[in-house]
Amino acid sequence: MNNSSTAPLEIGRTNVHDLKIRWADGHESVYPAADLRLACPCAGCAQQSAPRPPGQIRLLPAGIQAIHPLRIELIGQYAIRVYWSDGHSEGIYGFDRLRAACPCCIVKRRA
Amino acid sequence: MPSEASGNAIRYVIPVASGKGGVGKSTVTVSLALALARGGARVGVMDADVYGPSIPTILGVKSLPAMDEGDKIRPVEQDGLKIISMGFFMTPEQAVVWRGPMLHKTMQQFLNGVIWGELDYLLVDLPPGTGDIQLSLCQSIPIAGAVIVSTPQDVALNVAQKAIAMFRSLNAPVLGVIENMSDYVCPHCGVHDDIFGAGGAKIMAERLGVAFLGAIPLTTVIRRASDAGRPVVVAAPDSAPARAFFDVAERITSLMSARPAGADARPQVTF
Repeated sequence: MNNSSTAPLEIGRTNVHDLKIRWADGHESVYPAADLRLACPCAGCAQQSAPRPPGQIRLLPAGIQAIHPLRIELIGQYAIRVYWSDGHSEGIYGFDRLRAACPCCIVKRRA
Repeated sequence: MPSEASGNAIRYVIPVASGKGGVGKSTVTVSLALALARGGARVGVMDADVYGPSIPTILGVKSLPAMDEGDKIRPVEQDGLKIISMGFFMTPEQAVVWRGPMLHKTMQQFLNGVIWGELDYLLVDLPPGTGDIQLSLCQSIPIAGAVIVSTPQDVALNVAQKAIAMFRSLNAPVLGVIENMSDYVCPHCGVHDDIFGAGGAKIMAERLGVAFLGAIPLTTVIRRASDAGRPVVVAAPDSAPARAFFDVAERITSLMSARPAGADARPQVTF
């Protein structure tokens, strides 16, 4: 469940590629489009990113670095759907997962 | 903030859920809707139990919804309520045997393809479980607060808490818990008998940090009135069972009016 301090207030982008979320606690997260696209939580993509036996390669979407979000749709009170320039839009990104995946917070946690 | 979709302006969407079947969700939904309407609110009832629609029976609805020129559905209006149900579109002998996508489409149609107009409350009678319909509803429209119905015994409470967990995982607020079939009073000798136990829902509500909205007694009066299509809130508004529903409805309106400013605020998407 999202708590009120980590609910998103604004969802936009910093440039054509990167998604930006401003959270209720004032923190801002910037997500590179390619990373977000690769982390698509839909069943098909999740299966692709699951651990696989040695020798079985992961298929990445073509031209991953050029892929960018075209549209964002709010899903209820808990998530967003991203419409990507490669035509994919199946993934529903929960706010909890997005906050946990904030790139700068991950760097801080690792430091 | 009202939820506006397809020209509708719905102030509070309140799903009525239980997790377990057979605990009286539909009867509670209809009775609360009638109680709210009697208080002057504009109320709609969406029967989202597409597998076992019972709202038309409980309300004794004889008419059918009409289609307007734009292929939108005009809901049946009765007893001050606007009503839509899968029961209007199938015979009692037919069964709905659908997978998720069809259920999702039906929920979309019921929310956006129905001329609800301006409503203060839209009560949504959910089927048992935590599946496609519940998920579709929570994905499609902001929920003001879910009402959980349970009978007092453990077998129902254990499943009811899964419904609370589901709404919380979808960031949809839970208004509270109603204990249905709470207390039986023999109409002949007046002896009280806790057939399904008593007080379990209140304990669960306290444990899970949600409000206890009230208890509805187990009485033949409620069952008979519902089967006859004249719910007790309409047929005998001064009776004790009807007063129990009015009390719960009043608690719901109090909780709604006490919500902090901005409780319905959604993130601003600028793209």
